[in-house]
Amino acid sequence: MHLLRYIGRRILFVIPQLFGIILVSFFLVKLIPGDPAVMMLGPTASEESLHDLRDKMGFTKPLISQFVRYLHDVVRGDLGTSWQTTQPVTEDLFQRFPATLELITFGLLLAIAIGFPLGIAAARLKRGPVRKFADYYGLLAGAMPDFWLALVLIYVFYTKLNWIPAPLGRIDMAVVPPPTVTGSLVIDSLLAGDLDALSSSFGHLILPVLTLGLINAGPILKMTQSTVERTLASDFVRYAEMCGLPRRVVLRQAIRAALPSIVTIVSVLYGFLIGGAVLVEIVFSWGGAGQYAVQGVLNADVNPVLGFVVFSAVLSLIIYLLVDLLYFALDPRMRG
Amino acid sequence: MAGATMAAAAGAPAAAPGPPWRQRLRFFAAVLRARPAFALGYAIVALVVATGVLAPLIVPYGPMVADPNVYLLPPSWQHLLGTDGTGMDIFSRVLAAPRVDLTIAMLGTLVSAALGATIGAIVGYYEGQRTWRTALSTFVMRAADVLQAFPVFVFAIALVAVFGQSVRSIVIAIAFVNTPIYLRLMRGQVLSIRRLRYVEAAYVAGASDVAILLRHVIPNAIAPVLAQLSVNVGWSVLLTAGLSFVGAGVVAPTPEWGSMIAMGFQNVVTGQWWPSVFPGIALGLTVFGFALVGASIEVLADPAQRRVLSGSLR
Repeated sequence: MHLLRYIGRRILFVIPQLFGIILVSFFLVKLIPGDPAVMMLGPTASEESLHDLRDKMGFTKPLISQFVRYLHDVVRGDLGTSWQTTQPVTEDLFQRFPATLELITFGLLLAIAIGFPLGIAAARLKRGPVRKFADYYGLLAGAMPDFWLALVLIYVFYTKLNWIPAPLGRIDMAVVPPPTVTGSLVIDSLLAGDLDALSSSFGHLILPVLTLGLINAGPILKMTQSTVERTLASDFVRYAEMCGLPRRVVLRQAIRAALPSIVTIVSVLYGFLIGGAVLVEIVFSWGGAGQYAVQGVLNADVNPVLGFVVFSAVLSLIIYLLVDLLYFALDPRMRG
Repeated sequence: MAGATMAAAAGAPAAAPGPPWRQRLRFFAAVLRARPAFALGYAIVALVVATGVLAPLIVPYGPMVADPNVYLLPPSWQHLLGTDGTGMDIFSRVLAAPRVDLTIAMLGTLVSAALGATIGAIVGYYEGQRTWRTALSTFVMRAADVLQAFPVFVFAIALVAVFGQSVRSIVIAIAFVNTPIYLRLMRGQVLSIRRLRYVEAAYVAGASDVAILLRHVIPNAIAPVLAQLSVNVGWSVLLTAGLSFVGAGVVAPTPEWGSMIAMGFQNVVTGQWWPSVFPGIALGLTVFGFALVGASIEVLADPAQRRVLSGSLR
């Protein structure tokens, strides 16, 4: 009951924010110079046909009424049409978001697998090579441009060693993709028992995931290290130590107490990467949602950009809700 | 930058002899001795800034001069870092790039810090007072929420697109996406400081709001902002390079690390790694240096650290 009320309040709180996001992005994107009508019909189109098209797309009405109409459509799940793909944006995004989500989910899992244990090790050891490595890793990982690391990895593992397929897209052109269940090609081919598709999609996934994992392990490492360090110095840990509990038990308690803040940083990273993985998507021609939005901005294609912003806002909302549920599971104080 | 920070930290009893600036210098030296990585950070930043200033004097070739006879040469004594696909000397271009990258990043960051910190200080100072000012504070904070909910990179590209592709637009975009960070930071600081006794004392003594803010609150709240400033310059360099990488930032022949990496993209796949790898290293090192300087400012501004180090503990 407590939980439901909490979530309800949370959603109520978010609706005005969502409105603000759509409002700002709508007027921002409308300000981008470039006439979609000219881009669609080409420079040789007659003034008359241009006018007709603008009229049809609603561009001749005042901005306010365009905005009201857009809001009206969004509420019904209609995000308009992209003139580049000539498809409804909702459809496009449903195709592309799974690609992005697959990439960043596996990327963050790898980042956790690297950053979490390293952070705990660094928090336990005040000195020594592990600590030093963790200190430098945290700073270096945040300093490295992800698109550059992606290129270096391509050079090493594709050009030199030739261990992975050409870094283009999510699966070989010649391989038939598995039927869509989860949207992740790797998991779907696993479910379908299709080994060809599995090895191909896995081969394509590995480098972008490695890129995101190596870079995002930095903040996870830092957060883990600082919270575990702080908990290890706290009163309840000192008390547990005084009671003579074995080190392992104490450490486990400390890690458990540090989990909520680690969950927080992971969820923040996840929300950030929805749009923040776009450079990696571009390097690997991943065909994800971020890439779609960037193409939209560069070609004055308004609807995909707006659609992307709306989609990612809703998605981060869902993520933060899930995180709240996790807090309830992790932190007994929240249940009180 | 460091001097001002330590001024903020100089609240501890003066145990060491000598004039204040000398104590600060000694403290600074002690911090650098205890954490040699910080010294490395200052060295990198100094080096990058110096190259940015001196680039026209030290580059061996024109950074925008393409010589079609020498395209894609691997590193050699003639061309220390090789040449790119159009025959431009990569060493010269890597050295010339900080001029563009750092100028953009520093300007953008400074604008956002000035803007964000000012608004944040005012908002924090007036928050919770039962007047129309509270409503304004709430509105500003909600607006910051909205701005921060945007996907940063897409937002930045859209801003550049709106203002037209130019250096000025990139600066505006960087300023825009970073302002909420300083707003929040400063607000949080001011919220905690304005409750302190000396602020109350100033109020009781009849000081005006402006005087209290300028003379008592802001000087004591500024240290984290300065630490963030340095880290943020690094991020902004990354953002500038990222924008240029997708073609929404600095345009091609101008020497800029991100666009150099993009130019070398195709070459990397076919085996010529140098056009992309070297600018990336320069870029990463720069961001790393600024992050270290930021971390050092955090330590320098922390009174607890000051006590530890002046007791010559490590």
